[in-house]
Amino acid sequence: MRRRNFLLGTTAGLALVANPDHVFARALAQAPLPGLPGAEDRCLVIVNLYGGNDGLNCVVPHGDDRYYQLRPALAIAKSAVLAIDGRVGLNPGMRAIKRLYDQGRVAIVQGVGYPNPDHSHFRSTEIWQTAAPDRYVHTGWLGRYFDETAIAQTNLFRGVSVSKVLPEVMVSDRTDVPAISGLRQYNMIADDSSSSRDAYAAQARDRRLPFRSPYLAHVMEIESDAQRSSEELPKLVAGYVPKATYPSNGIGRSLALAAQIVGSNLGTRAVYVEHGSFDTHVSQQKTQNNLLAQLSEAIGAFYDDLVAHGNEKRVLILTFSEFGRRIEENGNSGTDHGEASPLFLIGGGVHGGIYGAYPDLALADTGNMGNVRFTTDFRSVYATVLERWLGRSPEGVLGGEFSTLPVLA
Amino acid sequence: MAAHTVVDVGGMARPSGQLDAAAALRPHAGLLGVRAAAHLLRRAGFGGTPDEIARFAVMTAADAAASLVRMPPANAVAPPPELTAVALGRPANRNIIRDVQLWWLGRMLTTPAPLQEKMTLYFHGHFTSRATPRFPWITYNQNALLRRYALGNLRELTRDVSKDAAMLIYLDGNVNVAAHPNENYARELMELFTLGVDEYTEDDVRESARAWTGWRVDRRDDSVSFNPALHDAGIKQFLGRRGDFDGDQIVDIIFEQPQCARFFAGGLLNWFVYNDPEPPLVESVAQLLRKHDFELSPVVEAILRSEVFHSDRAYRALVKSPVEFVVGSYKTLGLGAMDIGVIDALQQMGQRLFFPPTVAGWPGGANWLTSGTMIARQNFLSRLLNSQTANGSSWLGNLSLHPTTAAQRVAQNVLQDDVAPAALHEIDAFLSGTGSAALAELSVENFQQRSSGAVYLAMATPAYQLN
Repeated sequence: MRRRNFLLGTTAGLALVANPDHVFARALAQAPLPGLPGAEDRCLVIVNLYGGNDGLNCVVPHGDDRYYQLRPALAIAKSAVLAIDGRVGLNPGMRAIKRLYDQGRVAIVQGVGYPNPDHSHFRSTEIWQTAAPDRYVHTGWLGRYFDETAIAQTNLFRGVSVSKVLPEVMVSDRTDVPAISGLRQYNMIADDSSSSRDAYAAQARDRRLPFRSPYLAHVMEIESDAQRSSEELPKLVAGYVPKATYPSNGIGRSLALAAQIVGSNLGTRAVYVEHGSFDTHVSQQKTQNNLLAQLSEAIGAFYDDLVAHGNEKRVLILTFSEFGRRIEENGNSGTDHGEASPLFLIGGGVHGGIYGAYPDLALADTGNMGNVRFTTDFRSVYATVLERWLGRSPEGVLGGEFSTLPVLA
Repeated sequence: MAAHTVVDVGGMARPSGQLDAAAALRPHAGLLGVRAAAHLLRRAGFGGTPDEIARFAVMTAADAAASLVRMPPANAVAPPPELTAVALGRPANRNIIRDVQLWWLGRMLTTPAPLQEKMTLYFHGHFTSRATPRFPWITYNQNALLRRYALGNLRELTRDVSKDAAMLIYLDGNVNVAAHPNENYARELMELFTLGVDEYTEDDVRESARAWTGWRVDRRDDSVSFNPALHDAGIKQFLGRRGDFDGDQIVDIIFEQPQCARFFAGGLLNWFVYNDPEPPLVESVAQLLRKHDFELSPVVEAILRSEVFHSDRAYRALVKSPVEFVVGSYKTLGLGAMDIGVIDALQQMGQRLFFPPTVAGWPGGANWLTSGTMIARQNFLSRLLNSQTANGSSWLGNLSLHPTTAAQRVAQNVLQDDVAPAALHEIDAFLSGTGSAALAELSVENFQQRSSGAVYLAMATPAYQLN
């Protein structure tokens, strides 16, 4: 049993030997796995801007005087806004994303949300991740996408979450999605050295147990997945050399790992990364500008890395946040939980531009609790990604039909 | 053995084989023995030390169940000291919630009445609320409420938890007022807490929401009060009844529905016996609940001594939750206190106490296990067994220096011999130093490290993931 070495502290001197005959390594050495026409090689990188990203200071309505009236302390000065047109522009920290926008690689969908908005982080996050605003389901929309596509059951990396804990969006009934906060962390401590895989495999396969359990086979399968994937992943991605300089912060490291995974031909269809917290009730400007600058810089590096490896047409970035924030600033130079907000689609396959209705700031006076009302259902964005990017009919995953947006080439 | 696993869409799998419905709730006869005693202690609590298992092994199922349902009054439990240092309602250090988590895990490990904590954990996943870290007392108070009703009356618990501050905040009862009814709680009360979907209409939800109006939480001191001015005292039409109902009466009407007893019966069977229990078995337990007017103590006692509970079909038929896995490991080793490190480990395994993933609680079953959570489980074991903590084990230091004897003792204490021959052979070989790596023989010098390594090997086997 290979775990013994760790326990005895005899790891030093034992060379790590890749095993090219390993069934899993063989499966992955094959060409990218077959999928639906046009989509077989594509990957979605979904970025959760958790905490509730203030849409109005992200995609700034600098042409609207009401914005400056309602946010005397918080408004981004007209001169600082990275103007897109006479009406809106980007937060000054988002220079890299503005550069990609100017190249036609960024679609901004304004006013995205859902009916009867919930102002709880927890519930609204759940709604965005499960795509079920009107019921409680335990699977995420990408989890259901994995379950519905029968491709590559042997592939342990169809979905990868770059996080400590598996987010709900990746939770599935039939697909094991690893949560990997870093290559170093995705590792069984006891398996740091590996000299007797066969002995372990023999032990793990030995089912001569004095009981039956409806879960025994499942436990064995997951134990085997965990062992193989944690052992193989570092080797499978080892050949990837990043060709961009990522910022040395959380989102930079996460996107660097995402680029490494999607660039290593693992057959990965979706990667989750997260960045935050955008919950800016107090002193918003400093916090949010900083977070958006980090995000923008990391996405800029990520995109350059994709281009350098010829992957930019294979990869689509989609951001989301559980809600936007109140139109009017609060008394603490911050904003409280709101409703609709803009989201970004970025990639070589994107039709750049501004989509959806511009936010109507008059709502601060006329009701809707002073929030930006949603004008595009978030499930329309998901339906677009499923149908036009992942090549999958969205009805089954989303439990209904939603119009798609012309944001993808 | 042929693969017989069909994990259904919800990740909950029923054991194969036939239920003998007529005999299912009859008391199981004879002395328990080690395996059945360990099974009972895992289900009714968080496992047993070898000594505790030995003590239960010579009891009958009926005597063992009777002893487990005897529990001290919950008001004898003192709150965590970190919390008593904080003034009521005062926004506190957010990390205090970790102290409350650790305190509860410690109770699970050391309480003389583990069933009290097991039922509290059950209700925590059933009547879920999510903590607001700035108001830790609200979370603690709900925990104490659930503990008071651990084996109490389900109807009374449902009435009281409906007016609990954590619940009022979590499901918006706090903002449910006559002028603007909020249906959140009214819906979950029926859908997730008492009846299940399709057992009521949207009109019932609306009418129930009206009946629940007027309850308010005062954030200054966490107190709950009823404000008649915010209450809708009008006539409501609810589940076929008509009257100026308040919340308590809504609960009473819900508990008159035949489905209500079935709903709780299904929950208890899923928790204690096996997942996806057959409808006839659910109905038998539902009848018991009705017979005892929803008093839990006699019903849980009947389940714990029953034939179906002690059947092969129920044995190791559940997946250990992370809390069961972690507390059970400390228990198995005979350790006296939890370490703060388990809080992060539990989160990586997918269970943060007081932060259930949804209002439906933790989905359980196969949903607990992904490669990520499995790595977290195995790494937790690695860290525990390589730590000073493991040296505090009540029995590890007394293992024989004879490798085969020691290996058998480890397999017995950790797995009650639910170990495949190849795995037992590996443990033996590991202890004797004859495995695939060249090791020294077991000796006084390497004893401590080698014995905790042997426990790791036993805990890393598939059977240990099963409850």
